[in-house]
Amino acid sequence: MKIAVLLSAGRHSVSGRPAPVPVELQALRLAVDLGAEVTGLHAGPELGPLNDALGHGLAHLIHLRGDGAADPVPALAAALAAGGYDLILAGRAGQGGEDSGLLPYTLARALGRPILADAAALGPGEAPGTLAIEQALARGARRRLVVRLPALVTVHPAAPPPLPFAFAGMRRGRVEIREVETREGLPAPAPEIEERAYRPRPKLIAKAAAGASALERLRAATEAASGGGRLLVDPAPEEAAREILAHLRVLGLRAGR
Amino acid sequence: MSRPRKDPRAARAAHLVAGGARPRFDLAALPAATGRPRRDPRAEERLALVPGTLRRRLDRAQRLATVPAAAPTLAAPVEAAPRHVVITEPAFLVALVPDAPGGRLSAHDRQLFGAARLLADEGGGAVLAFVEQPGEELGPAGADRVLALPVSGYDPETKALALNAALAALDLRHVLFPESAEGGDLARRLAALSGEPFFAGAESLSPKAVTRAARGRRVEQRRAPPRLLSLAPDAVAPHAGSLHEALPVEFAFPQPAGGAILSAQFIPADPAKVSLAEADFVVSAGNGVSDLEAFRALVTALGATPGASRMLCDAGLMPRSAQVGASGTVLDARVYVALGIAGAPQHLQGVTKCEQVIAVNTDLHAAMIERAGLAIVADAQKVMPALLALLQQERAS
Repeated sequence: MKIAVLLSAGRHSVSGRPAPVPVELQALRLAVDLGAEVTGLHAGPELGPLNDALGHGLAHLIHLRGDGAADPVPALAAALAAGGYDLILAGRAGQGGEDSGLLPYTLARALGRPILADAAALGPGEAPGTLAIEQALARGARRRLVVRLPALVTVHPAAPPPLPFAFAGMRRGRVEIREVETREGLPAPAPEIEERAYRPRPKLIAKAAAGASALERLRAATEAASGGGRLLVDPAPEEAAREILAHLRVLGLRAGR
Repeated sequence: MSRPRKDPRAARAAHLVAGGARPRFDLAALPAATGRPRRDPRAEERLALVPGTLRRRLDRAQRLATVPAAAPTLAAPVEAAPRHVVITEPAFLVALVPDAPGGRLSAHDRQLFGAARLLADEGGGAVLAFVEQPGEELGPAGADRVLALPVSGYDPETKALALNAALAALDLRHVLFPESAEGGDLARRLAALSGEPFFAGAESLSPKAVTRAARGRRVEQRRAPPRLLSLAPDAVAPHAGSLHEALPVEFAFPQPAGGAILSAQFIPADPAKVSLAEADFVVSAGNGVSDLEAFRALVTALGATPGASRMLCDAGLMPRSAQVGASGTVLDARVYVALGIAGAPQHLQGVTKCEQVIAVNTDLHAAMIERAGLAIVADAQKVMPALLALLQQERAS
């Protein structure tokens, strides 16, 4: 099986320095664990810190060198179509660029492949040419999917951590540079978008009435919106246990599922 | 200071009475207006005086004057509310696609309705909700029209194709998605399918402009709301105040074709492994619990995630990662069971978001008993073995 991992030029979430995106290194680990032939792909003006990906278990990295302002989708689509990959792995969203997470979807559309989001684990399917994906859902739940290959899969941060960095691996890894000619006059940033320094906005919280005292604000933060529960004073332990289980059953939590 | 300097000679000259041989000054006369109005403390006091009280009482905040006027308006909305709003001829449509897990709207979905109403009410538009299972709560949430999507099981591609057909056929000014795992996935599928401009994770929204964070949260992007939008959680307040009709609409969706997904199977979370912050059902022990073996057995038998109060974590009886409260984990659980926890304010802050609380405590006046939906004044140490025995009995039968 041939797997391509898309690597983007990210920025560290705290320091802001150029760094690989962690979830893409996790995708790399998933690909290496599948025991496949793994190739990394990056489209951009320079490789920068993506050399680190070679140290995290990548043997071959293709750098599609081109203009940083140009749309990377055509170059990536052409390289992926020529490579004949069974599976393409990508992160969820970049970090340090537009960060909209739209690129894997436009790429899947350009390649005419199905796309599945938020993989936390990958395994070979029972039938040949299929892939078993564990999709991470909210609250720690999972969904097990079986898809037909070829496909494009994005990886969730709940996937296993990246392989440890090895300096020798980074020295051993092969970087192949392919020049991409940029066509003139291609997508300039949308003029209607205005950019300014980021200002965190306050999130919505349950508000006490304006001018309320500190005690009232604390009450609003700690007390239940719906008061008036049921109160049992000094019941027998058995009766208390029955009441608790009956209440849990009403709430839809059947004990001992 | 920008106040003009007082000239005492000029002030005295202003009181000069004309005529007569000797200069005469009438100091009792009112001085000429200087531009700065003079305070009248007695008139203010007369205004602030509360009538009809034996003791002289002053209300300097002037709240009393508004009370008689406010009383009838307080009574009126009780008869009028909730206000029904029917939009027969909408100028345009604002569509939204809530997640609605299990057919019930989540808090994020309700905020999405608030955002859609904000965009629709500006120019007399209507809100159209695309849902899998139409329910009764859509009208109060703020939906004017409801369109059922022909989707069964997990098939986001078919859903996106159906939405794309609706986007092309109906005159939808905006389509809103929640920026959650499922909603965000669907929004990006639709954006790639239709080629429409997409604004991911809007953090503030008004009919004129939306903003989002970009470049690693260093830059804020701002533009007029485009056609496709996804809304970050807790960015817009949910809609309230009026009831909408939630009229079912018909639309001929294209026939769904088989996708690439061969099978999909839901696997519920393992409560022992899931982190406290995302657990759905938490059972916590406090200082009233001394037999922690029984507590752990009970947590396993109930299929819950274990939590603890600060007292137990400080004593080293439970790991720090299990601490619930302001300095530990703030829970997002649906049901919380507090065994032997009195409920310090810091602990109650940790369970603010829990819908249902069950408390077992020996103190009738504990704050946790007041907070709980089912409060049992008993010794948790005795209730735990009884609960375990009952659970074992149920499993045996």
